[in-house]
Amino acid sequence: MATVPLFWYLILGGIMFTAGAVGVIIRRNPVVVFMCIELMLNAVNLTFLAFSRYSPTLLPADRLPSDHWMAGQMAVIFVMAVAAAEVAVGLGIIMAIFRLREEVDLDEMSELQG
Amino acid sequence: MAESTKSLILLVLLLPLLGFLAQSLLGGRIVKSGNDAAGKRVAGALAVLPILASFILGVVIVMGMTKAGVADRTAMYTYFNWIEIQSLVIPFELRVDPLSMTMVLVITGLGSLIHLFATGYMSEEKEYTRFFTYLNLFIAFMLILVLGNNLAMLFIGWEGVGLCSYLLIGFWYSDLNNSRAANKAFIVNRIGDWGLTLGIFMAAAVLMANLNQLGDIGGRFLSYDVVLSPASLEVFAANPGITTAIALLLFVGAMGKSAQFPLYLWLPDAMAGPTPVSALIHAATMVTSGIVLLNRMAPIFALSPVASAVVMIIGAFTALFAALIAFGHRDIKKVLAYSTVSQLGYMFIACGAGAYWVGMFHVITHAFFKALLFLGSGAVIHAMAHEQDMRWYGNLRKYIPITTIAMTIGWLAIAGFPFMAGAFSKESILGAAFGNHLAEINGIPVGAVCGWIAVGVALLTAAYMTRMTMLTFYGGEERWRELGLHAEPHHHEEHHAHAHAHEDHGPDEHGFFYTDEELAAKHEEHEHHHHLDAEYTPHEVSPSMWVPLAILAVASVIGGAIFYNVWNLEKWLYPNGVAMLDPELVHGHPTTGFLAQHMGPTILGVHINGLFWVATGAGVLGILIGYLIYRKGMPKREKSEDTMFTLQKAAGNQFGYDQFMVNATVEGGGTLADKVFYRFLDSRIVDGIVNGVGVLSAKIGSLLKIFQTGYVRSYALLMLLGVVGLLVSMVIQVINGGAN
Repeated sequence: MATVPLFWYLILGGIMFTAGAVGVIIRRNPVVVFMCIELMLNAVNLTFLAFSRYSPTLLPADRLPSDHWMAGQMAVIFVMAVAAAEVAVGLGIIMAIFRLREEVDLDEMSELQG
Repeated sequence: MAESTKSLILLVLLLPLLGFLAQSLLGGRIVKSGNDAAGKRVAGALAVLPILASFILGVVIVMGMTKAGVADRTAMYTYFNWIEIQSLVIPFELRVDPLSMTMVLVITGLGSLIHLFATGYMSEEKEYTRFFTYLNLFIAFMLILVLGNNLAMLFIGWEGVGLCSYLLIGFWYSDLNNSRAANKAFIVNRIGDWGLTLGIFMAAAVLMANLNQLGDIGGRFLSYDVVLSPASLEVFAANPGITTAIALLLFVGAMGKSAQFPLYLWLPDAMAGPTPVSALIHAATMVTSGIVLLNRMAPIFALSPVASAVVMIIGAFTALFAALIAFGHRDIKKVLAYSTVSQLGYMFIACGAGAYWVGMFHVITHAFFKALLFLGSGAVIHAMAHEQDMRWYGNLRKYIPITTIAMTIGWLAIAGFPFMAGAFSKESILGAAFGNHLAEINGIPVGAVCGWIAVGVALLTAAYMTRMTMLTFYGGEERWRELGLHAEPHHHEEHHAHAHAHEDHGPDEHGFFYTDEELAAKHEEHEHHHHLDAEYTPHEVSPSMWVPLAILAVASVIGGAIFYNVWNLEKWLYPNGVAMLDPELVHGHPTTGFLAQHMGPTILGVHINGLFWVATGAGVLGILIGYLIYRKGMPKREKSEDTMFTLQKAAGNQFGYDQFMVNATVEGGGTLADKVFYRFLDSRIVDGIVNGVGVLSAKIGSLLKIFQTGYVRSYALLMLLGVVGLLVSMVIQVINGGAN
């Protein structure tokens, strides 16, 4: 059970999140940006799960929520559901833009420039 | 007084109003129903009869009053509550007292005569009933003005007569000059009304502030019996500064309506209206409202020597100023207009001196002879094909003898010829001025100064009226015969504006409204009838026009003696004197100074004394001077503006005052509005603020739009930085505050 320490999960989550964030900022292809967002969401999911799994061992018994310490895992389910819906909408928008403009470069979509 | 008076006096007020409704709603139909002339006769009768009936009812009421004791002559009748605002109650109430009934008789008596005259004078007018609609409405409003028992009703009447005056000055509105004259009258009167309303409000405010001293008045702060009650006068006496302000503000109102110096400008221009209107409204009744107001508010003016001095000085100055201007005019109606302004100044001299009844005395005698003169001038204008310029008159006595006799009587009356109406009232005014008991500013002998000015004005009046009469009726030269020899006459505006519908002439078998010449002329060329040329023969006016002239002529002869001796206006109007005035009242003859020492006995009701000789001397001397200059007709140099004496020309231009005021108000106002209010205040300040807000927003916006790149990735970066920043601040807080 205590083979992999919590710290490692958090490091992995941090690396994944950073990779995703950098990807969102530097890539111009919306599909890749979506993938990067998924990466960030999953990094967060990983930390949720890690904390959820490790909370009984970290906290003293009297401060442990009696039956809510599994809430982190529920949050993950929510995040995955929302992410799926978001991707569906986002891909739809990307398809529509592609049909209109025959290209999907994020920097070309700057009509709202002030 | 009899109980029936309550309904009688209401009837006096309602009859002209009924006449107004009949004229306005049915008049057009009546005129159409007969053939034109017959219809107009019916409509004209319907206009005259209500006024005549009011006059008869007024006489009945006055007869009742003369039988009653002095204390029983005043009665107030409340009909309903007109305005109730919290503690302020303004009932619809009428006041029957000597002052109001005197005015009622003047208004309805002269009114019916002038209505009768107008049925003939306006007989060729297309919009016949519109004229009588206005005229009847005017009578109704004038009656409200004098009969109302509170300042609010006075104000309604005041505004109503102003409205009717405006409508009638602009009666021939298709000529722009007439519309302008009407607007001028209305606007100048607004200035006066501003003063009047402020005066009324101020009086009410003072009384409301001292309610505990007044006792139970039921909220009737504006009613005369409250405003002028002994308790209220105590309050006014305790606040002399405020009382002076009230009196001066009320006098501003009187100045506007009664055409006194700074505000007289509108009256000469008001002559653009039909001549009967000039006679009724702008000479006999409406313009005397100021005197009526001063008489009504006499106790308040009596409390303020300073305000009374202002009244007196302005009256004297106006009398002199207008008398001088009258010399410079050749338009017969303009001369009479300035004469009216001058005579109104006379009345204010008397009121300022505290002899209020003398002011009313001159109101009455002046109403007689000035109405006579105006109607006579109307008859002349009618006879001379609507030419008003005296340059084309002369020797008219040969053609219009009846008018000549009437006008000659009017001339003698206004000139102060001995034993005529004007002589009595003028002598009383001079006496009042010299015996001044009221007006005073810093010990200046206001009374004596104004008295001597008034003597000078009496001389001037006699002179310019002689000029007018000689130029019109006497002198032996028929100047219109020169027409076409030298230059075409300048046609007076009224000539053009007079949109006569010639086809409106109908047969008039009775000949009351048309003269024989006119009846004959109907079958001839109509254009000829209305054009003054060298071959023109003036024709005497119809009976409907000269009958009023005859009645007024008789009144102008005997009116003065009757009201001075038989009726005794002083005892009638002020049996107990004016409240709050010095017990040694002004009786219309001096009690101090040179003239008092030379006062003699009263013979046949005429004071044969120093004053009599001074007044008569001034009048006769004026007549003599006028006769010597104008006995042979118009002097050559007066026939053209170019050859006139400079002073006379200046007088004709009102010494530049009118032009100055027009420049100052119209053009100066325009410049002020353009340069200051529009270009600076509006364009710079108001627009500046509004535009400034817009420009500022745009500036801030353009500064902020740098961040709106439109690149999704830069937004994402900013969001990330924001989240990092938030996290950092949270971490710092946790470190500083410690985990709790």
